[in-house]
Amino acid sequence: MSSSIFRGVALATLAVSLPLTQVSAHCLVGGRFLPATLAVDDPCVADELSLPTASWFKTGDTPPANETDISVEFSKRITETFGVSVNETWTHLRPPGGPNVTGFRNLESTFKTQFYTNPAHELVMSAGLSVEWGGTGSEALGSDKFSTLKPTYYIGKGFGDLPDQFGWVRAFAVTGQVSYSIPANSATIVVDPDTGNTSSSPNPQFINWGGTLQYSMPFLKSSVADLGLPDFLNHLMPIVEVNLQTPVANYAGTGLGTTGTVNPGVIWIGSYFQVGAEAILPINRASGTGTGGVVQLHVFLDDIFPASIGKPLLQP
Amino acid sequence: MRTRLIPAVIVSLALGSSNALAHAYLEQANPRVGSTVRSAPSQLTLTFSQNIEPSFSSADVRNSAGGRVDQGTSASGNIMFVNVGSLPPGTYKVHWHILSVDTHKTEGGFSFTIAK
Repeated sequence: MSSSIFRGVALATLAVSLPLTQVSAHCLVGGRFLPATLAVDDPCVADELSLPTASWFKTGDTPPANETDISVEFSKRITETFGVSVNETWTHLRPPGGPNVTGFRNLESTFKTQFYTNPAHELVMSAGLSVEWGGTGSEALGSDKFSTLKPTYYIGKGFGDLPDQFGWVRAFAVTGQVSYSIPANSATIVVDPDTGNTSSSPNPQFINWGGTLQYSMPFLKSSVADLGLPDFLNHLMPIVEVNLQTPVANYAGTGLGTTGTVNPGVIWIGSYFQVGAEAILPINRASGTGTGGVVQLHVFLDDIFPASIGKPLLQP
Repeated sequence: MRTRLIPAVIVSLALGSSNALAHAYLEQANPRVGSTVRSAPSQLTLTFSQNIEPSFSSADVRNSAGGRVDQGTSASGNIMFVNVGSLPPGTYKVHWHILSVDTHKTEGGFSFTIAK
């Protein structure tokens, strides 16, 4: 990938990082709280910490390997509307009959700006640039030696602005995310250690797309109807996440197709943290084998440390 | 480094439950959110999950025609009181916006109905 494209994407990110609207810390849009989700990113900038996110599943390899991932993500607001997050994942891979492989994946960072917030309509949009830093992860895990850029668009919408006649439907919300994955190198050169011959394999470009459908019991209680349910139930958000990847360029001859997972689960929302648990259901054989799972503890730093690391670094 | 970070976060969470403050959410309302009541209340009571700043917290109540019927608000601790006088039967919309004592802003709304 040429450096001019990198510069262009970076400039575009800087251009949209200028604050246009005032927002709250973690994802509050009007009377709606959009939780941090496990498979796709939520559409807001915030001071938050996911520690840990743990997942286990069988890969789409033939035969499949058992993979366990434990990741940490730290998100920090620089201004009210611009934030940075850093993500690191530790992976333990157990191929059948083969030696286990353990190590860290490539470090990822995301620069994100929340450029539109409409509290009355519970609508929020963000744009960002994620970077997977090549060469920072374990070679044994097959981590790419090249970096990959992902310009990303995020959206979230709650339906609390529907007329009262819609009743309990108003507690639904959706979020979405679309990104374009651009490897810094268009191909990887492989040298045969025995013959010294070289071969080239393309590094495909992908569209990563997904979203969530979530039902907010807290919103139901505080804005639609207080049904007198037990307090525990009033903190729950049943959710279905979909996370897909589709190759769109430079993938001829690779045999790649759309892969991804559907993750049904639930998130419990507290005052200072949330806990989420989801099943991982691969959409096809190439996406995985059988059912996996993911759990996450997510901490609201803006609520725990409102006067220090929980507030933007730069405040007017 | 990692082994020290995880206990630090756990301790912070434990301390957070007693020492820190969070966004304030509506925990309970009287009349209850979405309810139909037979007798008109002269005052609404909104109970939040955190203490609020009375000077920067308020609520308005509107009838089905959009006209305001609230007659002032006051707050103490985590409770807001909204005076509404004598309300005729009908459906009313409450919209509140508050500042919790740690300066977090939140807002929300709900409806209730006074039966004929």
